[in-house]
Amino acid sequence: MPTPSRWMIKASMLYMLIGFVIGAMILISKVYPEYSSVWNLLTVHIEVGIFGWIIQLTMGTAYWILPRFLKTKSRGNAKLALAMVGMLNLGILINVASYVSILHSSAIILGRVLELGAVALFIVLHWNRAVSYNT
Amino acid sequence: MPRIARVFIKTGLIYFLASLLLGLASEFNWLQFPGMVPLFWHLLMVGWITQIIFGVSMWMFPGRTREEGFKAQLWGWLTYIFLNVGLVLRGIAEPATYLDEGSLWSVLIVISAISQVAAAVFYIIELWPRIQSKEQRRRQRKKKRERKKAKNEK
Repeated sequence: MPTPSRWMIKASMLYMLIGFVIGAMILISKVYPEYSSVWNLLTVHIEVGIFGWIIQLTMGTAYWILPRFLKTKSRGNAKLALAMVGMLNLGILINVASYVSILHSSAIILGRVLELGAVALFIVLHWNRAVSYNT
Repeated sequence: MPRIARVFIKTGLIYFLASLLLGLASEFNWLQFPGMVPLFWHLLMVGWITQIIFGVSMWMFPGRTREEGFKAQLWGWLTYIFLNVGLVLRGIAEPATYLDEGSLWSVLIVISAISQVAAAVFYIIELWPRIQSKEQRRRQRKKKRERKKAKNEK
């Protein structure tokens, strides 16, 4: 399994755990309203659950599992792949920091731009790998 | 496909159907019940998507044991049991808490929440060591072979 995939899959598992823990706290607060302040973490729960866990795991697995290029046997530009990993995770962390008020709320724009950049790189890296080598 | 993957996928398909039925029902006033919308989203995202990811990754990711059975695939089966106990308890207890504020429902909600977190932990225990490069896998296999050889020589 290539390095970008390993990083993405392992990061996605950590995000999954964080998402589940926050979700569990929110669920418990429904019957113990004295802990209702955890509802402030609902946006973090959604961000890490969707972008951190599901989207990141899908991207990491696709990078590993889609057909490699026939001539070079590579998965494309490795530096771009690492940039994709960095941008996606930086985007998620900026958004989370913004949701918990460590950063200003407008930082979400930067977070979303970084996530968008990661997805654009993902498309660039995988477009020509979605092929059939059967003639 | 190993049994555990089949069970995860088939259970996921049932949640998929159930979640969409719930989503459809939520559009009709006379079919609505409290807590329906979060339940719909969680049956879809945890019951279907997360469950199918768990099942397929346990099957497709490198390093799985070929041996079938609860003991041989302990962490995988614990993931399945805890995830689904958590989801089913939530499906029952969450709407019930809106109708009756009994302490039984509160306890079931807490068990449901802890059970799902436990499932996430068990999944990580199962999958984390399997996320390896080819070189790491080669080294691990070599070590295993050497250990086996040393054991046989004794």
